[in-house]
Amino acid sequence: MRKRLMVPALLAVVLVASVLAAGSQAKTDRSKAPAAPSGTVTLNGWQVSPAEETKLSKVVADFERTHPNIKVNYQSITGDYQAQELAKFAAHKPPDVLYVDVADFVDWAKQGVLQNLDPYVKSSHFSTKPFYKNLLNAFKYRGHYYGFPKDWSSLGMEVNTTLLGNNPVPKTWAQLRSVASRINVPGGKPICLSADWARLMAFVYQAGGTGQWKDATTAPFRAAANFYVGLLKSGLAALPSDLGSSWCGEAFGKQKVAFAFEGNWMFPTMASFPGVKFTTAPMPKGKRHGNLAFTVSYSMAKDSKNKPAAWELLKYLVGRQGMQQWVSLGLALPTRVDVHAVPGRGAFLRYPSSVHGWGAQAGFRHIWNDVANNELTAVIAGKESVNSMLQKIAASAR
Amino acid sequence: MSTEQAQPAVAVDELILETEAAKGTTTGIPGRERGERIRRAIAYVVMFGVALLFAIPFLWSVSTSFRTLADTVGSFSLLPKHWTLSGYREAFHTFNFGKYTLNSFIIAGAVTLSNLFLASLGGYAFARLKFPGREVLFLLVLGTLMIPDQLRLVPIYLMLVNWIPAWVGHLGWHNASFVNREGLILIQLVSATSLFLMRQYFLTIPRDLEEAAKLDGAGYFKTYWKVMLPLAGPALAAVGILMFQGTWNGLFWPAILLQDPNQYTIPIGIAHFRFAYTTLWPPLMAASVLAILPILLLFVVFQRYFVAGVAAAGVKG
Amino acid sequence: MAVAVGKRRQARGLGGERVREALVGYGFIALPMAFFLLFFIFPIGYAFYISRYDWQIFKGPYVGWGNYRALYHDSVFWTHAVRNTLVYAAFVVPLQMALGLTLAVVVNQAIRFRTFFRAAFYFPSLAASAAIAAIATYILASDGLFNTILHHLGYTHTHAWFDQETTALPAIIGLNAWTTSGTIMLFYLAALQAIPTDVYEAAAIDGANAWRTFWKITFPLLKPGHFFVLVVSIIGALQMFDQSFLIGGASGGPNYSTLTVVLYLYNQAIGNIKFGYGAAVGVVLFAFIFTVTVIQRLLFGKAEVA
Repeated sequence: MRKRLMVPALLAVVLVASVLAAGSQAKTDRSKAPAAPSGTVTLNGWQVSPAEETKLSKVVADFERTHPNIKVNYQSITGDYQAQELAKFAAHKPPDVLYVDVADFVDWAKQGVLQNLDPYVKSSHFSTKPFYKNLLNAFKYRGHYYGFPKDWSSLGMEVNTTLLGNNPVPKTWAQLRSVASRINVPGGKPICLSADWARLMAFVYQAGGTGQWKDATTAPFRAAANFYVGLLKSGLAALPSDLGSSWCGEAFGKQKVAFAFEGNWMFPTMASFPGVKFTTAPMPKGKRHGNLAFTVSYSMAKDSKNKPAAWELLKYLVGRQGMQQWVSLGLALPTRVDVHAVPGRGAFLRYPSSVHGWGAQAGFRHIWNDVANNELTAVIAGKESVNSMLQKIAASAR
Repeated sequence: MSTEQAQPAVAVDELILETEAAKGTTTGIPGRERGERIRRAIAYVVMFGVALLFAIPFLWSVSTSFRTLADTVGSFSLLPKHWTLSGYREAFHTFNFGKYTLNSFIIAGAVTLSNLFLASLGGYAFARLKFPGREVLFLLVLGTLMIPDQLRLVPIYLMLVNWIPAWVGHLGWHNASFVNREGLILIQLVSATSLFLMRQYFLTIPRDLEEAAKLDGAGYFKTYWKVMLPLAGPALAAVGILMFQGTWNGLFWPAILLQDPNQYTIPIGIAHFRFAYTTLWPPLMAASVLAILPILLLFVVFQRYFVAGVAAAGVKG
Repeated sequence: MAVAVGKRRQARGLGGERVREALVGYGFIALPMAFFLLFFIFPIGYAFYISRYDWQIFKGPYVGWGNYRALYHDSVFWTHAVRNTLVYAAFVVPLQMALGLTLAVVVNQAIRFRTFFRAAFYFPSLAASAAIAAIATYILASDGLFNTILHHLGYTHTHAWFDQETTALPAIIGLNAWTTSGTIMLFYLAALQAIPTDVYEAAAIDGANAWRTFWKITFPLLKPGHFFVLVVSIIGALQMFDQSFLIGGASGGPNYSTLTVVLYLYNQAIGNIKFGYGAAVGVVLFAFIFTVTVIQRLLFGKAEVA
């Protein structure tokens, strides 16, 4: 008799016990749920304009509202960003989430200071489909994601319509040269060109080049450099410093030139120069279309102490909602197809497949800053030949 | 060692000035007096011209601080086209100028006080006390001037972030952090220039006073504190001005070590007005002008002592 | 008199007194020396340590003197960084010393508004590097105030002074000599106070004119001041970084013309992510400046009375 009761009793006990256990387990599951990371996350970035600063604070505040357990500590870095972040990496005390400029990306990933994001992408089913392929790949290292592009800018050709007069907007290198030679700019020159490979490289792509420093001695590099320097030497173009300006945007705003090659950041800049009638056109075509993508990623540091929460922040910032808010400023372009850019940016987005990331090579910043630009200024000043410059650049890439 | 008593005229070509002693004496010849007056007038004009030249950037900063942003990118004009206080308002509004000023004062003040004490203590020892290895140790002190900040960046950061907190952790102080105002003060407690300066000055003070103190039974520290230090007023003012001004204007270490916006100093605030594609000149200049006022005041007040202080320091150099 | 008393004290002092003095000496310098050891000597030691490795952000393989060997063959370092730094120092030091001395002599007079003049001449030294750099760039722009004035004086200069390789470094030299002259002025002003007045009176009685008095009497008597200022100026000039960084755009351009040794160190460490190599540059610089200073001390000779 007792035996017969024992089994159901036992079963009942087991049943009750498991229900109770399941209940408390569910409770602990809820508190340990991977969907509720918490803690403080440090975010490091730099400011490109006062409006950006305010906007980012807003986006971060929205994130904190929807994720009440996570507190974000945003620090806007003044001074040299690279130096300060490298010091933090060296001390193994980096921020959790940080901006990484595409020019630094490969070098930093190589040093092992960035976190491989693949596991987080997988576990949270984060879709990478909406991102533009070129930009997504710019932040891949050895086939893994080490960051996601937060925004980007590309170059366009700004044209002063008043100075252009009846001339057509040039579409090719040849047209650019011929239209420029027909234009007269009082107190200035037709075109503004910077002594910077961050502009010249776009022309290299237009000449069909690879954009890799190690290929600097190839024909497309030569063609582009000769074209670029040729415009300066022939008097059709001038450097911004010779036009009383610190960059071509300023020269364009001061109406010292009819053409400038700057990016979508020109729109807020031109707000300080009201009354200038201008339009934006796509970059001219060489052998083909070519353009540069200046982009920055949100990445996670390998030594981050709170990776789950960091991922939540990162996900939000490059997610549709966060990014939509961010690009509504109109300062930079969205990196996702499901986020709409502020209208008027068509010229920059006209030939998306021709856009190449500015960077994504090892030693990029060093070669660009320490070698390539110095050699370019030498060539422009007539102190060196184009071929010699290209040889030196290729040599430093090996 | 008063500096305000009239100095004998050391005439440099076009500057011929009357000395106090010469006043009213022999140059009774009217023509000669008038010639000297004319020469003096010309000298003053030249000096005012040079002073203007030196002050131009500061004056231009002041002028810019009263302009609108559009006015700064437009064509050049000496005075603002439209006078406005918007630059100042923006400076105060964008960042917490009051707080930044307070932080700057705290840091500069602490660093200055620390320097005054440690540099004078060390300077006195190097100047007056004999101990083995003194020359080598002093060379070491001079050697610290030859190490650029850029080279010290990483090791100091590692020290403040990792090593020092670890050491004091062993002593019971857990979770210490030095990437803040305290760390910033810690790495500037004494400078070799200050110590060098104090040492040079102490070398020129006559020994008799020390001897007298010794005979009175004063110990070494008492001699230093009660006798030498009061005599070193000028040198102390010199160190005070140099260290306060240097710390007040510093940007390199504050930018790296101050991570909490509540601890930012004025130069960091000013740097915030420089962006990649624009510089907001009016608030930047407004903040710069306001930032210069305290050190200018300090300089004007202490420059009389300052001169006498560095004077003796250079003598034995 | 002081010396004699001192010697007597030594003679009377037994070993105990000497030991006590030494201990007190060590005690007094303990805190400053500990500070210097911790925050200066240790970092240079650390720099030397990491320079012996292929140290990027983190420790790499041991390379012994490899970094130094590479530095020896580094043409950019020698033909640009070192050359520019030496040229810079060779010009800026005498320039700022001459300027500072002139100003000091002027404001040493019993002139009216002396405080005003002292403040005015010290102004450039009061302002922060970044502010001065910004203002200078504006004034020396291709259409800036400076060129406008030159144009009215008949000399047309169409380029920005900081953006042409032939004028960039000279412009920085001029700028820095001008901003540092105020501090030098104060050092010399002080040194001038120490010259006894009888000397001038004697010269005046002998009928020496102003120019002669200055060159034959004042200038030589300033020798101690010269030494102090010279040592400090040279040490500072050889480490110039700020203006190259702020104005030259951190690349040392145009065409390497504003590249200095410390900027090179910085770019190698941060831009090229080679902490070890940058450290090697720093160690070499330190050794050089140290040697120069020791030579200066020997040349100027006099052992100090202590």
